[in-house]
Amino acid sequence: MTFLKTLATGVAFSAMLAAGAANAETVRFWYHFDNPENPMEDLVKKFEAANPGIEIQAENVPWNSYYDTLYTSLIGGNAPDAAMVKLFAQPRLMEMGALEPIGERIDAWAGKADLLDNLLNLTKASDGNQYYLPIQYVVLYLYYRADLFNEAGLKPPATCEDFRDAAIKLTKAPDIYGFGLRGGKGGWDQWGAFVLSQGAELKKGGLTSDKAVAANQWLIDLYQKDKVIPPSAPNDGFQEITGAFKSGKTAMTIHHIGSSKSMVDALGDKVSAVPVPECGGGRWTSYGDESLAVFSASEVKDAAWKWISFLAEGENNVEFNKATGQMTVTKSGSENWTLHERRFVDATVASLPFAHVLPQTPATSEFVNTAWQIGMQQALTGQVTSKEMMEQLEGLFDQ
Amino acid sequence: MLTTAKTLSPGTKISPPLSARLMPYALLAPAFVVTLFIVFFPMVQAVYTSFFDLILWKPNASRFVGFGNYIKLFGDKVFWISLGHTALWIGLTVPLQMALGLVTALLLNREFPWRGLARAMIIIPWALPSVVIALMWRWIYDPNTGVLNDILIYLSVVQQAVPWLADPDLALYAIIATLTWQGFPFFAVMILAGLQGIPKSQYEAASIDGASSWRQFLHITLPGIAPVLGTAGLLRVIWVANSMDVIFVMTGGGPGYATHTLPLYAFVKARQNLDFGYGTSIAVTFTILLGAVVALYLVRTMREVER
Repeated sequence: MTFLKTLATGVAFSAMLAAGAANAETVRFWYHFDNPENPMEDLVKKFEAANPGIEIQAENVPWNSYYDTLYTSLIGGNAPDAAMVKLFAQPRLMEMGALEPIGERIDAWAGKADLLDNLLNLTKASDGNQYYLPIQYVVLYLYYRADLFNEAGLKPPATCEDFRDAAIKLTKAPDIYGFGLRGGKGGWDQWGAFVLSQGAELKKGGLTSDKAVAANQWLIDLYQKDKVIPPSAPNDGFQEITGAFKSGKTAMTIHHIGSSKSMVDALGDKVSAVPVPECGGGRWTSYGDESLAVFSASEVKDAAWKWISFLAEGENNVEFNKATGQMTVTKSGSENWTLHERRFVDATVASLPFAHVLPQTPATSEFVNTAWQIGMQQALTGQVTSKEMMEQLEGLFDQ
Repeated sequence: MLTTAKTLSPGTKISPPLSARLMPYALLAPAFVVTLFIVFFPMVQAVYTSFFDLILWKPNASRFVGFGNYIKLFGDKVFWISLGHTALWIGLTVPLQMALGLVTALLLNREFPWRGLARAMIIIPWALPSVVIALMWRWIYDPNTGVLNDILIYLSVVQQAVPWLADPDLALYAIIATLTWQGFPFFAVMILAGLQGIPKSQYEAASIDGASSWRQFLHITLPGIAPVLGTAGLLRVIWVANSMDVIFVMTGGGPGYATHTLPLYAFVKARQNLDFGYGTSIAVTFTILLGAVVALYLVRTMREVER
């Protein structure tokens, strides 16, 4: 009898559980954090407590294959309901019909007024719709070794000429090189500061002009002739350029505020930052965006929206950025920003006026993912000329 | 069943009952079904896909192009570069692994103290995951912080750090060295097993007849381990040919196309550029080429072994 009772209770209990699970909506969410101590769990707990009936399954997808995995899962019909996305991916996602317009939801959302100015304009899609909700941003600037510059009686470079001059003076190969160039995957945003600043554009006819080819040649010469860039540059990625800068192997490099904490841990006051130099009268730096989007195939769009808008609200957004080490998108969060040392925040803010995103065309993804890296590596190692590299790259934007 | 059996004249072999005859098929069925779904079905689909212009992020622009991808392939200079690298990759890695494995096995076959420990240690490179090996060697080769350059500079072999993975003339060879290191224990262990199967009496007889150690090696050891070399060599050719994880982690195929092999090129095209039509046509072409090489190899080595 007792056995039967236990059984009956057990059956009733599992039935309740099943019913409960059927009522709860599950939002699958993909993100990418490099930082192993990420507070996503706390944010999920906080959200779930405030929104009973919604369960968040947040998955940290490795950055190196983030977009490959996202695109294939969208095609395979196993995509998450919402995810972290960058602007360069927007045209492809639109072409796939994968994005859900969220403009009306943003308009009706209380947090809209707290978003920093201009961010929604910057993330607007080419068809006039709003698919992206900004979540964090960074701007690339120039890290330099203040102590080495002082010793050599140099000022942080304001122009490309100053930059080259300083790099040459600071290079004491093979111990110290003037500039740590990222020639491997993801280095296009450093390259942009030297080449896109001088009028080169990612469009037909935009890369093969004499001025653009010369600007590219100038950068290649820093490596081949001036030898102010470490010989490992063609294969160097994020780990290598930050590693070399922190170990004192390079005197300058270009990255964003996300690495400032580890730079300060390694170098203390010896590291400082300024905006990237002005080259040939123009200035260009990369606006590193990150947004959230809801996918059109999701069956729980309302719940997914609730979750992504939750992450973009003041306090939560600050928590989120503590994990990524980037900048908050909210006005309330920016006021008492203590996450980074002031000099890096200043360099970021001073860079905003000439910060750009790459043009939103489907070819941009291939440029960012594979083509730039192959062309740059070939040019640095002398397999192709500057002009041939630029022609190869322009070929992507021909269609 | 029974009635048929009755009508047979005495002396005819009675066939076993149906259930017994079906047994082997029943036992093979699970493996067959799994292979069908995870190997043959995707293979057929890959061949089918290769006849389409299919770019994943342009789902509406997909169309049938027949052999169009293959024609494009033969005019693609990156395909020929990758094919050359693949030949070099297999042609150097497998013989080097085999040679190093053979020397190791001969050493391990001798009596010396702590031999058991040495035999266990030798397997370590083989037991490590490829990604760990690739990351480890990436740091060993690093020109700024890597230990290899440190040692070479200390020994005055080179004057300044060599960018092993950033120099297009060296990168492929640097990775081949890594893969040789990873794969030789497999040969060592297989050959060691082969060596222990050779009867000691043959060596005794040979030395009584006055055969030198070299002649003993040539006429007793080598024929004794020939079947092992043949089989292990074949397996390694297939594995090494397909292996791209180490290259992908160490250089991603760069600098430029300097370390592109065909499987890597297919991967980059299909997975990174999402051009599945073209990517699968590279993969299918490579499968056919590798199949031909393997068939040729099988015919030759099996003949040798039977002799």
